[in-house]
Amino acid sequence: MLVLLFILFAGLAIGCAIAVVAQRNPLYCAISLIGVFISLACLYVMLAAPFIAAVQVVVYAGAIMVLVVFVIMLLNVEQEERRRSRLGFLVPVAVVLAAILIAEATFIIWFVDRSPVRPLSSVSDTGLTSSIGSALFTKYLLPFEITSILLLMAIVGAMTLARRIKEIPPGAAVVPGAQVLPLHMFDPTIALDDTRAVEAHGSDEVAEVMGVPDDHDPTKRD
Amino acid sequence: MDWATILDIGLKFVAITIAFTVVLLIVAYTVLAERRVLAFIQGRLGPNRVGYGGMLQPFADLLKFILKEDIVPDKSTRFIYFLAPVIATMAALMTMIVYPFGPETYIPLIGTIPLSIARFDVALLYVLGVTSVGVYGIMLAGWSSNNKYSLMGGLRSSAQMISYELALGLSLIGVILLAGTLDLQKIVETQSAWHGFRWFIFLHPLGFIVYLIAAIAETNRVPFDLPEAETELVAGFHTEYSAMKFALFFLAEYINMFTVSMLATTLFLGGWNVPFAEDLFGRGTFLFGLVGVIGFLLKVIFFLFLYIWLRGTLPRFRFDQLMNFGWKFLLPVALFSIFLTATLMMFFM
Repeated sequence: MLVLLFILFAGLAIGCAIAVVAQRNPLYCAISLIGVFISLACLYVMLAAPFIAAVQVVVYAGAIMVLVVFVIMLLNVEQEERRRSRLGFLVPVAVVLAAILIAEATFIIWFVDRSPVRPLSSVSDTGLTSSIGSALFTKYLLPFEITSILLLMAIVGAMTLARRIKEIPPGAAVVPGAQVLPLHMFDPTIALDDTRAVEAHGSDEVAEVMGVPDDHDPTKRD
Repeated sequence: MDWATILDIGLKFVAITIAFTVVLLIVAYTVLAERRVLAFIQGRLGPNRVGYGGMLQPFADLLKFILKEDIVPDKSTRFIYFLAPVIATMAALMTMIVYPFGPETYIPLIGTIPLSIARFDVALLYVLGVTSVGVYGIMLAGWSSNNKYSLMGGLRSSAQMISYELALGLSLIGVILLAGTLDLQKIVETQSAWHGFRWFIFLHPLGFIVYLIAAIAETNRVPFDLPEAETELVAGFHTEYSAMKFALFFLAEYINMFTVSMLATTLFLGGWNVPFAEDLFGRGTFLFGLVGVIGFLLKVIFFLFLYIWLRGTLPRFRFDQLMNFGWKFLLPVALFSIFLTATLMMFFM
């Protein structure tokens, strides 16, 4: 029974992984990657590690891939063109890396077969949430804290990089229905990359701040 | 395989069938209740022609959905267009297996069985994970329809769900702290003290409010129904869907409402705990189980009514209000509630 399930999910994972590489449409690739993550989660459940499985689904399938799909949708990425000619020099590198990977896998399988330590039986509590939690907060506290600080730094860094572009001064809060006009539209001495802005509501006010004579009188039209 | 295993598997199948039938029936009648209650709030009658007081309306609607023509947009991405409603409905239904509908109960002729389909260590995380996979249904529907309104709806919903999932997850941490486990059945059992009245809503009230708001946003309901804001987006992500595929999205939305209400009941309102039921009937008896199941369903129905009530009362948010509210208000409040609960636990438990 377990072997059948293993073959099912391992096959699914490998099939989806091949699809990630082989598909042309970026969105299909992303969906295949989600398939890989979910099949891996099923494999973790079978290895008596339910917590890792749940986190795999929550973090990878539920959060990271949502962002990836979001970006693909937002940018409307076209189907990938054939770029084999441009990236051709990478083929030998890939072959070497694949050879190393296969050698590694073979070594591990060989090593595990001969090592005296047998794998844990399926009835064990190492994969349970409470044992992972107590291990993280006692034995592995320092690595855990260091990882948290690293993640915090990454978040702060992402925020700084993302917010650097737009710089709207406190006086020009964006109100729905208002138009935010860059200051260099009014004053030629202000540099183009100056992002300070003024705000105006409606076309009359825009005409006023831009100094255009407001002569739209409905009676004078045609 | 011996007879005990086969009996066990058979029982599981029966349990799944009963649970899904009951839940789908309640969901179908939620739709009817929503239309009738909304009509009452707005001073109309609502559908009352099919059957007594409109009781057969859900079946008439279902028949209509089946018989309608199924239109597929010409320029849609066909495979994903078909996949999206499947993902949405499947993810919505999959969470149902972990909820404890009642306590361990003695059933005549069968013996003592737990009144839930599956029970495992990380049930709460499983619910969160499967719910977050459900976002793909909406996102992919919006993208594959090749329609600007659908795409806008899909984008909005994914942004909204990512934002409110954080507050939702954080509001649950207080409960996990109090119960010390992620197993839903155990969480309900820890609320059995005080004559079945040690509900976590009393111990972690701030978390409950945050959860309620975030859950409404997660299910895309009024006042957070921006993904399908009909005044600006026609019908949002399911604009191009018709017939049974539309019905699947509709079903997914209402099942999500139901599961979110079940989670609220399980975590904050004591699940199947009915005050003083244990003193009256004794733990494990058939009557105790029956009262527990009825109590659980009544609490869930209260939440469903709350949803309908809100829909009849509140106007829709604007998108920037939604984002500001989620990130700048709800998230800090959720963090504060964790801090508060943890501190109080340190001093009083």
